[in-house]
Amino acid sequence: MAASLAPGGSNAASHSPRTSSIPDTPAPALSDHLLTPASISSVEVYGATNTRKSLLDHLFRPLVENPGPTTTLGELLNRINRASEKLVRLDIFKQEGYGVFISDARDRPSGAAGLHPERTELDVSFRVKEKSRLVLSAGTDFGNAEGSAYTNAVLRNVFGGAESLSVNASTGTRTRSAYNAVFSAPLNGNPDLRVGVEGLRSSTQKPWASHEEQLAGGSLRLAWLAGKMGDSHALAYSGVWRQLTGLAAGASPTVRADAGDSLKSSITHTFTRDRRDSPTLPQRGHLFRTVSELAGWGPLHGDVSFFKSEAEVAGASSLLSTARFHKSGTPITVGGSLRLGLLYPLAAGFSFGGPALPSRINDRFQLGGPTDVRGFKLGGLGPHDGSDAVGGDVFAAGSVNMMLPLPRTGPASPLRIQLFANGGRLVALRNEGRENENGGPDSNLALDSSAVLRGMKSAVGELASELPSLAAGVGLVYAHPVARFELNFSLPIIRREGEQVRKGLQDIHHE
Amino acid sequence: MSVWPSPTVPRPLQQLFDRVPLLTYDANALPARSQSATSSRLPTLYVFSTDSDARLGAPSYNPGCLKWQTFLKLARVEFQIVPATNHASPTGALPFLLPARPSPSASPAPVSAARLHKYALEHGQHKPAEQTPTLRLDAYQALLDVPIRNAWLQALYLEPRHAALLGRLYVAPASSSLWVQATLRHQLRRAAEAEILKTSSSAGGGGASAATPILVDESAMYAGARDALDALADLLAESETGWFFGAPSPSLFDASVFAYTHLMRRLLDGGADGEGEDLKIPARLGALVRDAGTGELESHRSRLLEMLWPGESLSGR
Repeated sequence: MAASLAPGGSNAASHSPRTSSIPDTPAPALSDHLLTPASISSVEVYGATNTRKSLLDHLFRPLVENPGPTTTLGELLNRINRASEKLVRLDIFKQEGYGVFISDARDRPSGAAGLHPERTELDVSFRVKEKSRLVLSAGTDFGNAEGSAYTNAVLRNVFGGAESLSVNASTGTRTRSAYNAVFSAPLNGNPDLRVGVEGLRSSTQKPWASHEEQLAGGSLRLAWLAGKMGDSHALAYSGVWRQLTGLAAGASPTVRADAGDSLKSSITHTFTRDRRDSPTLPQRGHLFRTVSELAGWGPLHGDVSFFKSEAEVAGASSLLSTARFHKSGTPITVGGSLRLGLLYPLAAGFSFGGPALPSRINDRFQLGGPTDVRGFKLGGLGPHDGSDAVGGDVFAAGSVNMMLPLPRTGPASPLRIQLFANGGRLVALRNEGRENENGGPDSNLALDSSAVLRGMKSAVGELASELPSLAAGVGLVYAHPVARFELNFSLPIIRREGEQVRKGLQDIHHE
Repeated sequence: MSVWPSPTVPRPLQQLFDRVPLLTYDANALPARSQSATSSRLPTLYVFSTDSDARLGAPSYNPGCLKWQTFLKLARVEFQIVPATNHASPTGALPFLLPARPSPSASPAPVSAARLHKYALEHGQHKPAEQTPTLRLDAYQALLDVPIRNAWLQALYLEPRHAALLGRLYVAPASSSLWVQATLRHQLRRAAEAEILKTSSSAGGGGASAATPILVDESAMYAGARDALDALADLLAESETGWFFGAPSPSLFDASVFAYTHLMRRLLDGGADGEGEDLKIPARLGALVRDAGTGELESHRSRLLEMLWPGESLSGR
């Protein structure tokens, strides 16, 4: 029950002669005790010098609320435990030096008068140490086709309500510059419900489509955990000015046509259920994630209008133990994932059936790359105009892999050999009704709603009409607690004309 | 990600590489937006224009673009125009031309404005008259590049009464967002100011030469433009052919003059909104064109328009 309750001494300020600590497994005598009526007489917090009282009030009010005659000691201990967990999740206190002390108020030398004689009355004290308020860090990152240097400043517990302000600046080979600042705060002292405001400005090279994208914008975000297992939800409004600029000499007409400015005003919902035992080397469990975005419709305005949704399922399971032929007993794991995405152009404003503009290159999906579909270059899958990956409106991608232990390594080893096959299909929405008769530019881009529907149906149908582009290979995986490194040898098996494959070695680095 | 395609791939590996992929399908079809951008087999001139104007090949509303659009037409190059922004350009400025693609996957290098003259002579079916570079040509070219251009920038970009026009031409097409529009408008104005200040020491002609470089004397600038247009009209009056410098057919210089005179008449003429002949309104550059000399510039404009865009209405729209 009480993993976070430190068993321990009685050095809390209220010098209690019989401070009791709560053992991890309640002794039989205690379990009888748990049913006795009890209430909390006082709650004290030591060491939270920079933390506002109102925040602590939010956390501890449930402890002292409804102290009916039927409240039992067990129930109270649960409440204390929950409050303690929340306190930890606020992420403003250090782990070391954290402790919860509970003592019987009736043993207090003074002021025992007025207490209910039949009830266990508890004094609870929390001892905390605040983390340092300002953390500065700087460093370099390598991986994912890019090297970068960053500086980061985090100001914790800014106003004493567990608010945090994080300011980032980075520059790299591909991300020329990126600045962002995020301010976030728990709502009602609840660490599982946070609001955040973010401002960002960045400039990123997109060599797979011969341009550079500059962003400036902001977002307002509400994030919460739901359910017993902590499924996470986030709902965000964001407004971003995107500028496609700095085109390469060989940029295709598609990229040139989309060059310039656009404002995306959108609402995004993200849902994540991660039940894997490890994010970097899962042996068991599953991950389910969806991202849904509504842009430009109704009161959102902006220059682009669409509904975009993406879903991912991934799972891993231990097939058989190698114990039979391998001393270590490290299991062989098989894993798989499936991702699907769809971008549906909408009419701007409140119209349902009005004409909709087809998607721009910066809104369409890209597929391919070492962390995405291995064996293909970044953006290597899907429609290409010249050498530019111009993206698609519908995609499906999947992978299967098998993780084998390395000889002479134990189950705890972060190294594995992997065999994998992965593939996908990225299809663009086309204007099928109107082929160009005169060879001139048909600059009336807008599609009416029936043309959009027809185009979407045919694009979705196309996903499964042929075999997907496919690559397979073998590699070495090193799962570091914070990142995963892979060195793979892969070969393309199926591709489409224009799709860019990678034959041979490819090394990658996942977060 | 980094890759080591070692300079010498071992032979068996190379043979393996040569065998894959085992199956290659046809290319993925391009998205709806690309269909119109890639459907034509003609070279494409990227200019400031509207969708409907571009479809008709109508004159661009930007003098720099219109000059080259006019010259390419004079040289009888077959091309289409596409509305674009400076971001689409390899040099950061319009116009530029993307030659026809020999194959759907080819990416021919774009032709910047500086090389369009050569391109037009190589690819056109007609050789427009050539002006040999002389001091005289330079002097008249300077009239276009400094007083006339500065007056154009001042009138369109900085004159409050043309704010709506500026918005319609250069700001609204970029984005519907008021925030983006306000920022772009500000950037455009700062850029126009900077351009004017670059040449402002000579901009005022005989005007307020003692003006500090920060303050631009507007009335001196418009007076300078009027003098320059008068000088061009006089030059045209000397010509027997009706084209500048007595050339037998219109040259690049005619296209350069037309680009300004046409747009001044069409866009900055007060005109249709019934403001009559109030010549005191200084930004009415169209009126300056009409009144230059004895109407030579106006008739020059009409003749070129009739020749290249026979369908276009002559009355200032």
